Amino acid sequence: MALTQLKYEFSPATPRALPVPAVHFGVVGSGDMEVIIENKDLGGKAVATVVTPVTGFDHVWEMVLRRFMDECQLGNVAISINDNNATPVVVSLRLRQALLEIEG
Amino acid sequence: MSKWQTLQTRSFLESTARQRAQGLVDEGSFTELVGPTERFISPHLPELGEAVEFDDGVVTGIGLLGKHPAIVISQEGRFIGGAVGEVGGAKMVGALKLAQSIYEKLQAENPAEVQARRPIVLISFETGGVRLHEANAGLLAHAEVMDQIQNLRHKVPVVSVVGSKIGCFGGMGFVAAATDVIVMSEFSRIGLTGPEVIEQEMGRAEFDASDRALVFRTTGGKHKYIMGDCNYLVPDSIAAFRQQAIAIAALPMDAIENLRRIGSRSAIERQMQLVAMAAEVSPTDAKDMWKAIGNENPQQLIDANYTDFMAQAKRLTPAA
Amino acid sequence: METMMGQGRLAIDMIVDQDSFAENQIPNFSVPCEDYAPGAVVGTARINGRECTVIANDAMECNPRFPVVYAGIIGMEEGYKMAMAVYRSIEADADLPVAKKRPLLLIVDTPGNGPGKVEEIIGMNKSTGAYQLALAEARKAGHPVLAVVIGRAISGAFLCHGLQADQIISLSSKYNTMIHVMPLTSIARITKQDLERLTALSTSNPVFAAGPEFFFRLGGVEEIMESPQAMRECVTRHLDDIYTLKAVNRTDKLGPWGRGELGEQRGGRITRKKVMARMNEQFDAVADRYLNA
Repeated sequence: MALTQLKYEFSPATPRALPVPAVHFGVVGSGDMEVIIENKDLGGKAVATVVTPVTGFDHVWEMVLRRFMDECQLGNVAISINDNNATPVVVSLRLRQALLEIEG
Repeated sequence: MSKWQTLQTRSFLESTARQRAQGLVDEGSFTELVGPTERFISPHLPELGEAVEFDDGVVTGIGLLGKHPAIVISQEGRFIGGAVGEVGGAKMVGALKLAQSIYEKLQAENPAEVQARRPIVLISFETGGVRLHEANAGLLAHAEVMDQIQNLRHKVPVVSVVGSKIGCFGGMGFVAAATDVIVMSEFSRIGLTGPEVIEQEMGRAEFDASDRALVFRTTGGKHKYIMGDCNYLVPDSIAAFRQQAIAIAALPMDAIENLRRIGSRSAIERQMQLVAMAAEVSPTDAKDMWKAIGNENPQQLIDANYTDFMAQAKRLTPAA
Repeated sequence: METMMGQGRLAIDMIVDQDSFAENQIPNFSVPCEDYAPGAVVGTARINGRECTVIANDAMECNPRFPVVYAGIIGMEEGYKMAMAVYRSIEADADLPVAKKRPLLLIVDTPGNGPGKVEEIIGMNKSTGAYQLALAEARKAGHPVLAVVIGRAISGAFLCHGLQADQIISLSSKYNTMIHVMPLTSIARITKQDLERLTALSTSNPVFAAGPEFFFRLGGVEEIMESPQAMRECVTRHLDDIYTLKAVNRTDKLGPWGRGELGEQRGGRITRKKVMARMNEQFDAVADRYLNA
């Protein structure tokens, strides 16, 4: 019954750096999530870790995260998510909002 | 407009714990301590398969109100109802200890500046008290918070800032009562026992927890203001709470002491009189107390907007 | 003797010197009326000849003015009466050195705070908060404050009557002693956890289960007593211990803070201290900006 941890790796075609060391966004309310995106030397790659009480949505997570990574092309970043049953729409929104925090 | 300026006009009620923390202090002055990137999650929730948060639902940090270092504790109600566990509790205790050490350093190194640079603690409550998933650790943390508040007596003003959706209940209701000053908006509440539990204990005929108006006039900001349990009632914006915090930071410590409801024999003698009055009035509704205090038309006060309420309400004051 | 629950007055007699308890006799202490907060028993007794203030619950009493207050519940009158007993004790010994300050003995058997509508309208939270602050003040002024859990020490009522003590000792759960926020069945229901699983988990993690033994592992109880007959000896020993620690300025080993440290030593609460250490470290890095604004 422990929490599920999912890990994903992405190799953006044109990796760009996060302009700040780290950004945090969101609250782990019911049906919601938080994310930290931070700089990390990963040879241009990006990694994402999702911690969630929900099981069986590995593919959905991968799809949503891949779409976000394709869009933002961040490289050398680690993405850490604490989830509490957020829907894919909410996940996409929170990821974009996190970037808006720094890029306005 | 900068992000901070945008925060100022925001509803305090609708804001997250972090927004409240950042907006309560001077622009750009907030430094979060043990923030989310430190990843101090609860060690107990994962065992139970419960979602975790990187800050464990409590934002702690330091900012400035002019020259006054402002230690901020801000609880996030959307994460497990803002309930306090081991990590969140330790953050609260650590922040209060930090306020004490800042005060002591100032006292030792720059005694002439104590009044001008004295730290202030702002606790933005949004909690029902103990987190049941780690109930024992949460309870023990409450006792530590209380102990630290007593350590700050006569030294550092500790201010309860209560304008959140959940308000402040359970063991944290004691903590709020024990602080020096309480600032509320009419949209938030302070108490011990939540409405559902009262209904369960007394029956729906006595107390209907789904009656929002009843719930608010029993423990809401307007009621607390009339009873003298909240010192300042402010409009629902971060700027309004911040302005009040600035005014409190400027007060001398003896004036702060006069704002207290409890914490000395003379204060509790006044509270005992209030309890005697309650026994006599035997209120079946908060409105009965409002009347006994001299408000002839309680319903008018319930309906009044902020400005009219402030102009019309007759109230008890803590030191009266 | 199977349980001490509901027997606060008997517990006083078993702990203090024979026939030495004088109810309501604390210098300058008085109550507004004869039946004021009858479930809160306060007074002065002697322990090995030394005067001490006793504060106990009488679970057999009902408050005549506040009907939700019975069976040891701490209501508004009760909290203020207990707080007043503490303030009067502090005043009585104000001019005495720490070594001579009277101990405060808390005999704990309370299931909760007054849960009523009137209590919320008037502010139950103030009454229990007032008693906690008074105890903290007494402890910091040098009075040894010792809590003895003989029956129920439940949630907010334990915060109020017990958890501000220098040290806490408890009868073992063999005597139906209860220390908890909620029984595990209620925790399971509210947190939507499986009861069997919670019960199994509690053997390895004491953080949510009910009972003095779990609090012991978290540092929340200093010692567990295996029989009511051991209470007097145990009280005497702990009071001596508290006096000794206060005499050498080791108050960091006492009270809620001391129990936090004990919780770490016993392996029950090990994250608490790391959080605080990190906070100090991070503050030190930015201190100048805030100290010299």
